[in-house]
Amino acid sequence: MFALCDCNNFYASAERLFRPELNGKPVVVLSNNDGCVIARSEEAKACGIKMGDPEFLVRDLIKKFSIQVFSSNYVLYGDMSERVMHNLGRWFPRLDVYSIDEAFGWLGGVKDLGNYVPKIRESVVRNTGIPVSIGVAPTKTLAKLANKMSKRTGGVLVLDSDEKIKAAVNDFPAHELWGVGRQHYKKFESLGIRTAGELRNMPEMWFKQHMTILGQRMWNELWGRPAIPLEAVRETKKGITVSRSFRNYIEQPEILAEALTLYASRLAEKLRREKLRCLYLQVFLYTNKNREDHPQHFPSHTHKLLIASNNTTDLVSIAVRVSARLFRAGVKYRKAGVIATGLVPENELQLNAFFDHDNGKKDTVSAVLDKLNLAYGRGTLRMASEGYEKKWRLKHEYLSKGYTTRWADIIKVK
Amino acid sequence: MIRSFEKRAEQKISGFQSPAADYLEGRLDISERLVIDPHCTFYFQMKGGGMESCGILDGDVLIIDRSLKAHHGAIVVAFSAGSFICRMFLIENGEFVLKNDQATVRETEMGMLQVWGVVTAICRNMLPKALRTGRYSHVCTL
Repeated sequence: MFALCDCNNFYASAERLFRPELNGKPVVVLSNNDGCVIARSEEAKACGIKMGDPEFLVRDLIKKFSIQVFSSNYVLYGDMSERVMHNLGRWFPRLDVYSIDEAFGWLGGVKDLGNYVPKIRESVVRNTGIPVSIGVAPTKTLAKLANKMSKRTGGVLVLDSDEKIKAAVNDFPAHELWGVGRQHYKKFESLGIRTAGELRNMPEMWFKQHMTILGQRMWNELWGRPAIPLEAVRETKKGITVSRSFRNYIEQPEILAEALTLYASRLAEKLRREKLRCLYLQVFLYTNKNREDHPQHFPSHTHKLLIASNNTTDLVSIAVRVSARLFRAGVKYRKAGVIATGLVPENELQLNAFFDHDNGKKDTVSAVLDKLNLAYGRGTLRMASEGYEKKWRLKHEYLSKGYTTRWADIIKVK
Repeated sequence: MIRSFEKRAEQKISGFQSPAADYLEGRLDISERLVIDPHCTFYFQMKGGGMESCGILDGDVLIIDRSLKAHHGAIVVAFSAGSFICRMFLIENGEFVLKNDQATVRETEMGMLQVWGVVTAICRNMLPKALRTGRYSHVCTL
């Protein structure tokens, strides 16, 4: 049996844990740069706020219903996610963390699921303060479906018999199934398929013809035959990106270099955390395509490194050099990013006969950097070219505190 | 602040191998005693002298474990009337009571009360002012 555990309105719930006065009140969380809504509490959904709504479009609703707004605080969400996943991990022989707020668990050999699963939920909610829902079924597709339905049945739904599965799929809209996109939705509509039950009653041949191998898997999964295994090993990454919008437009090359220094430093950090090196570093710049009155420029360049690297100094110097070449005067840039591709395992370093390698001196520097920043907080030691003012930094006017990660931010009680 | 940062300097032995090399056990680390379950542990800080009779002083860092259920006599952090508070949790005649040096509040008067977590331990800086400088200024407290 598979379980899908998912945190309810995760970002909003994490914010409310440290602001209990907001329980029962509408809360929304905005994306990076306070652009659009990326999380809503149930109350905010009821106010008519949609996922992805730009902040300026819902300003009136926010005012009208006194909705509490938060900038995304990924430091907090990351820590709370880790707590939830660790707590979940104690209950499952195997756990596959699927996203920041979702995990598939394998419940092989567990008897009396009706008793066991509510206990998991209860303990995770108590220990972390984050409400979770758990759907259990013989396949991942059905577990996902059970999870969605469980939000209406107190947070736990176990589909452990053919009758229960039948009742559930007959009740579940086909377009909300895991892996069903917009294209499929149209196809279903034209055939008059509304529920998952109607969908699984289609012949297997139809799935084969119209929905490729993925559809065939879905068909099997809907009948309770596992076709998608629990991911035991995470697929190795093909590329890692760090990209962000600026608070204001950037028009000066020196300022652009500051931003690229920060992004490349973060990228190098990410690579080291994944124990990877990259052979290619792509740098790109964007202007605001919605401003027809601005000159548009979307340059991008991929630089090939002589030797695969993951140290901060290498990646920063490349990113800054490339960005200076891409930069065009008189253009207002809105966003920039760096992408590392050609990823190779850190310890499989391919040297080059025509290039003098520094014998890992820069890697040692990076290791020291990571150690110090881990102990004393991110950004304690950084490249000076990052600058000091950082006026281009993300906008986050409604940022909550680092309640669980910064001593200065812990909550005071009386 | 408790930090297990580089517990032992790297040992590069030029002369004789230390006879203790096979017996290294890892030095004691106070966080093992203070934090039983890091994934359920949160930190708050006491402001004011409302809990002095329970031995909690202004500025003490409270270690809170959410996995524990409040029992009679436990010190808890609760959320009540719009703010976080630290109180002693008591059960009197089957009724929940929260108490500090100034007031006793019964369940019936609490309204929207939630016990947020149980205080398992406190951390306090015991240094006199003159010694609270540099890296010693934050020993345990802020």
